[in-house]
Amino acid sequence: MTSATLHQHPAPELEPGKVILELRSLEKKYPGTHALKPVNLAFRSGEIHAIVGENGAGKSTLIKLLTGVMPRTSGDVIWEGDPVALATPHEAMGLGINAVHQEVVLCRHLTVAANMFLGEENVRYGLLQQRAMVRDAQKIINDLGFNLPAHAMLGDLTIGQQQLIAAARATVRGTKFLIFDEPTAYLTRKEADQLFALIRRLKAEGVTIIYISHRMEEVFELADRVSVLRDGTYVGTRNIKETDEAELVRLMINRTIEQIYHKDAFPIGKTILEARQLSGKGFENVSMTVHEGEIVGLYGLIGAGRSEFVTTLYGRHAKSSGTVLWDGKEVHIRSEHDAIKLGMALAPESRRDQGLCLNLPVGLNLNLPIYKSISKGLLISGSEETKHAEQQIAGLRIKTAGRHALASSLSGGNQQKIVIGKWLNHGAKLFIFDEPTVGVDVGTKAEIYRLFSTLLSQGAGIILISSYLPEVYELADTLHVFRRGKLVATHGFHTASHEDILTQALAEKQEKPGGQP
Amino acid sequence: MSTEAIPAEKPKRNYNALFGLTLLALLVLLWILLSFSTSSFATANNISNLLRQGSMIAILAVGQTFVIITGGIDLSVGAVVGFATVTTAMLINSGLPVFVAILITLLIGVAIGLFHGFGIVKMGLPPFIITLATLTSLRGIGLLMTNGNSISINNDAFQEFSRGSFVGVPNLFWMVILVGVPAYIFLHHTRWGRYLFSVGSNAEAARLSGVNVQRTIYMAYTLSGLCAAFVGVLLASRIGIGNPTQAEGWELQAIASSVIGGTSLFGAVGSVHGPLLGAFILATINNGANLLNVNAFWQRVITGVLIIVIVYFDGLRRRGSK
Repeated sequence: MTSATLHQHPAPELEPGKVILELRSLEKKYPGTHALKPVNLAFRSGEIHAIVGENGAGKSTLIKLLTGVMPRTSGDVIWEGDPVALATPHEAMGLGINAVHQEVVLCRHLTVAANMFLGEENVRYGLLQQRAMVRDAQKIINDLGFNLPAHAMLGDLTIGQQQLIAAARATVRGTKFLIFDEPTAYLTRKEADQLFALIRRLKAEGVTIIYISHRMEEVFELADRVSVLRDGTYVGTRNIKETDEAELVRLMINRTIEQIYHKDAFPIGKTILEARQLSGKGFENVSMTVHEGEIVGLYGLIGAGRSEFVTTLYGRHAKSSGTVLWDGKEVHIRSEHDAIKLGMALAPESRRDQGLCLNLPVGLNLNLPIYKSISKGLLISGSEETKHAEQQIAGLRIKTAGRHALASSLSGGNQQKIVIGKWLNHGAKLFIFDEPTVGVDVGTKAEIYRLFSTLLSQGAGIILISSYLPEVYELADTLHVFRRGKLVATHGFHTASHEDILTQALAEKQEKPGGQP
Repeated sequence: MSTEAIPAEKPKRNYNALFGLTLLALLVLLWILLSFSTSSFATANNISNLLRQGSMIAILAVGQTFVIITGGIDLSVGAVVGFATVTTAMLINSGLPVFVAILITLLIGVAIGLFHGFGIVKMGLPPFIITLATLTSLRGIGLLMTNGNSISINNDAFQEFSRGSFVGVPNLFWMVILVGVPAYIFLHHTRWGRYLFSVGSNAEAARLSGVNVQRTIYMAYTLSGLCAAFVGVLLASRIGIGNPTQAEGWELQAIASSVIGGTSLFGAVGSVHGPLLGAFILATINNGANLLNVNAFWQRVITGVLIIVIVYFDGLRRRGSK
């Protein structure tokens, strides 16, 4: 490691809030990795303390230690003046430490109320007081201004709404110390605002909030202080008022904020794909073309029909009407297999559910689309298999113990690199990236964008779906705005303002209360 | 950022092979213990007998493992074995050449597997349900065909086969090798093997990567059906009769062998050598218990305990090595 450890800045004093939790030389080693080097840090009651860092910087490890999910290797944790073991999640919760995770970990088949009180049910004479629980849950939800039905099945809510419930749940449990891990990754702006209101309210009640996010504007909007981790090392803490994005990014990646949104202009070539008045489940009458060397951006809220449109193009769902032309000729894509054969590649929205075989090796995941071409007769060529996997691991700088390591052992950003990397050996012509940088740090983002340029330079076309406006705004040559299943506007590169695009995507009354996505 | 130091430590690359060695060690240990504690274990006669006992379950376990790797289960294999003894007996007795009779029986196994694939892929039935339905109805069909009687096979050469041996090794054990080697190559060195794993791990991700998930599921159940029909032929040869109630509970022994051999019932984890070793470990325990005059009822209890112990320790090790 570099000498970064020496540059530790003493945590600046700002607020008078007393220290609730203090880390003394807290350290975590896994076999082969030093996930968290000794960190000294104090959290005060009633502060919103952001923690930023790239994927693999040690944020997840820190959370796991604080919530008792993993034992620490060495060091002390002082809770309200006394050393604590934090050996089990139960112990952490008993102290008042709770976490809201990026992926909702609740029971989809239970009602909102049942989830709110899971493990702390209202029981009288051995019987559940269901009606009382629904009533109490509804009161809490209303108090928070969420406008969601407490008797609904959790699974019937959108991911964003589920996330709000997960947050609300944490508030009813005598929480003194609440960790949010990328809570807004799947939220709409409105939902995010509701969540922020909740967070500020908790702060006012004296709860310590740890807020982990890759979105800098959120950090600056919410946090009082921010701590930076890099490569498992604690780099420093800043008062939010005394720092800026440039400094944080520099601390995080140890290099100045060069162009993150790296965009080279490539000559726009022939038309690769044309969709004419395509309709299907979740979208209607969408027409667009993708050319060689072009990034076509699809912007809109989650549930606006962008993902449905591309998965239909890709043959996952049947279209109901319209035509698709590939290379100028009409094609009928009936399955993913057909699409891949034409030369399409899809890096889907959800890494876990659609992108990866988590309990299989990195190498197998990378080679999955190309096993046919690396087989000689019946047998897979072992050397080709190794070669292609190692090539992507090295080329994309995937941080892994090796191609035999399970995909689940990698951090989110590195998993995302696999989802993308598996298509690079395939020689596809049209790449569809659905939210490629959700939950991915700045450094990995820049790498992914640079990869786009490489693909474009080779004459490929790209469809880029994103809910993060700066991303599509800075990268897309053509930007289509989706709203409720329709393509409502099309812009060239930087030909419209952020505000205009946002307005087009949002429209009035874009959300039904408690409604379906 | 400087050049990222990719952790250079060696991953547990041949995890499967390692687990295989542990099982092999267990098997050898059992054999050594039994050789010392009984006089009759280490005789050529008994060893041949043990190999014969284990062989058929071993072959079933291989087919079963393909299915379990996809995240499914095949409860029908015992019934398929029983049914296959009936068809083999009837076809041979009808005067058809033996190899034609065998071929037709194997095709019936394939057809049953395709039916399972159809039920799962096209009808959307859970594997447990469709194969459970086959289990009971196939026994019934067999009983209807035979009127509940056993059919004696009047072909001595056919029956000789299962008693014979080649270079000192029982023919039945050669059959394990005949199935095991291609199965090993299929699972670990062909793309279809990889597809089985990928479907078991995350069918949606596999599909979006261009894997034909439906075909892969058809393939797994077809191979399981084929293995079961093949075992039916072997059993018919061994007992010289066709009887639909034979091989009662073999599906559970096959699943147990597979699980002892390191296959995960959640899918995506498994090998060919593991279930083979698992089958012979079970056979050794039964054989040893017989020689030691342990009450036959206890053997079932021991098998159950063994499943828990082995799978528990395997799980511990897996978690530990993460």
